Amino acid sequence: MTGKGGTGKTTVCAALGVAGARGGRRVLVIETGRSSEVPSLLSAARLGTSTRERETSSDGVETLRLDPFDALAEYLTLQFGFGRLVRRVVAHRGFHQLLEGAPGWRELITLGKIWHMVERGDPLSRPDLVVVDAPATGHGLTFLDVPRVASAAVRAGPLRRHAGWVEALVRDPKRTLLLPVARPEELPARETVELVARMRDEVQVPVDRIVMNAFDSPPPGVALAELEQALKRADQLAPNEALRHAVRDWRVRSERSEHWTGELARATGLPIVPLPYEPGGPAGAESFALLANALLAPESPAP
Amino acid sequence: MDPERLINQKRLVAFVGTGGVGKTTLAASFALEAARRGRRVALLTIDPARRLADALGAGPLDHQLREIEPERLAPPRGQTGGRLFASMLDTKRTFDELVERFAASEAARQRVLQNPIYCHLSEALAGSAEYAAMERVYQLSQRSDFDLIVVDTPPSEHALDFLEAPHRMLALLDSSVVQLLVHPAFAAGRLGMRLFARGTDRVLRLIERVSGVGFLEDITEFLLAFEQMSGGFRSHAKQVEEQLRGPGSAFVLAAAPSPAAMRAGLELLSQLEAQSVPLAGVVLNRTHPWPGDAIPAAGVAAGDVAKLAELLAASAPTGSAETWARTALVAADRYAAATRAEREACRPLEARMREIGGFVRRVPELVEDIHDFDSLVRVATWIFAQERERPA
Repeated sequence: MTGKGGTGKTTVCAALGVAGARGGRRVLVIETGRSSEVPSLLSAARLGTSTRERETSSDGVETLRLDPFDALAEYLTLQFGFGRLVRRVVAHRGFHQLLEGAPGWRELITLGKIWHMVERGDPLSRPDLVVVDAPATGHGLTFLDVPRVASAAVRAGPLRRHAGWVEALVRDPKRTLLLPVARPEELPARETVELVARMRDEVQVPVDRIVMNAFDSPPPGVALAELEQALKRADQLAPNEALRHAVRDWRVRSERSEHWTGELARATGLPIVPLPYEPGGPAGAESFALLANALLAPESPAP
Repeated sequence: MDPERLINQKRLVAFVGTGGVGKTTLAASFALEAARRGRRVALLTIDPARRLADALGAGPLDHQLREIEPERLAPPRGQTGGRLFASMLDTKRTFDELVERFAASEAARQRVLQNPIYCHLSEALAGSAEYAAMERVYQLSQRSDFDLIVVDTPPSEHALDFLEAPHRMLALLDSSVVQLLVHPAFAAGRLGMRLFARGTDRVLRLIERVSGVGFLEDITEFLLAFEQMSGGFRSHAKQVEEQLRGPGSAFVLAAAPSPAAMRAGLELLSQLEAQSVPLAGVVLNRTHPWPGDAIPAAGVAAGDVAKLAELLAASAPTGSAETWARTALVAADRYAAATRAEREACRPLEARMREIGGFVRRVPELVEDIHDFDSLVRVATWIFAQERERPA
């Protein structure tokens, strides 16, 4: 899952987790940022700050925040078998400075860890579905492109081989799907169009639909613009200004929803999955159940 | 210190915040207002929406500073307008210019510019956008023809990425591992270094085993060429850092009024405080004001439908006045719920700002997207509005 900052991709990740768990699948939601949001969204039990412990929410969704340094130490130990030496290398100051400034390794090791969980993990704890809250659009592209770049830049050796495996995983439409999350506004819509184009042309991670978060629909049978005008005329009413604000807000939201959904569908040719706008934002199990249903709704053709 | 004093007393104002909160629009609007009030302003944007660039009316923004036609600034009554120049950050160009400037020789310059790793990395390197933004700030602040530099920073989870990126890059060049790669003979010749190098050597051997022979060679060649220029980088980074933390600079936090964005905003705030970075205030962008301030409790829709229907009867199509009335009340319920959640979400950050004496400004969501000069000016009127104490 990726999307411009503020589109609510983390919320959508949590909702997809709930949707999967309700369908009887074992779901693991992985966060790649510096903080973990999903457990509090899904009211999962907080088990300290360890990034290796998975947490399980009341909806049966497992969540995990992946720390690249931990994942790297784990990888090196797996490669060389000697944990103590690896620990010393990883703790080495020079190594840390190198890693702080070195590009790409965080993305690669994060994807590598996910690959390992999916392909090589202990069958007893192996998830059926891994939902990754990938970095926001710009960095999200880099994130998914790193295996390709790494296997091109590194000429030989285990790193090249492993990057190749990860690259094969992220490009395989049978195993991987990228879900871009947009919002009905200019910037997120424009970024999503660019993202889809670059995914098709360069990165080649499968994309087959776009999630439109906070999609608002007008009320049935009432033209909000006319109601807005009528309220303007009927100004004897005390909370009238608030009513006008409220009706205008609804009108603008639903107009934007229709406009940008149409633009996105036209520019990408992809079906759009609308997730209903909820005033005040989604909160609580009921909201997430609603979002999960919307995600699972039968695909409607592109408008 | 309020926004008005910022434009009159500061030389550099940086907008920080997580992605998607409208930093670029706020920075543009702030810069525009400063110019309208007589300052000579340089605006550095990161990735402006096309419509924002159009709204500024300087043509498509790029690496070059372009002046916004002074006639368009239309200063407020009684004031003389200043000037406004805008540009967009181009990370690759900024890096290339640095290389051109600091390469010891033509050969060294070509070696870096043509190194495949450089071509790839100058854009992808962790923090390269932040680094380039810093370098541009340096270039702009060297010029005497601007009173005020307004900077939009790259979106990040971590406000300090902007401040710390140069450190991280320099630390990378300074790290014992890189030093050993670049100067193996030199490092081996010194006793202290040799002891030091034993751990480092182990790191290198490990990297080599994972990445295979050849990779380290490519990297080394790149670093070797790059290192010759690090002196120039270093002095710029140091100067900009001092400037950013100095009395002539101020940071403004841009935040969206959603719970997730507010948590991120608070986190950024505490990081800035921990680093004693001069934070002037926060702009809450795209808020939903409730007129009259007292948001009714839930259940507006249960209000007096009949009375409202009567008032709407004149305008509504026959027989639908009641549906219209109900719809208006449902709308009010929705809007009240959104506004309540928003205020709830903003409270901790506002309280924190008041504690540290920073300003809090709200920019309500405009009905239209920002598409022209006037909408930018309208955003500015909210940023520069007098702070009004809200009833608790």
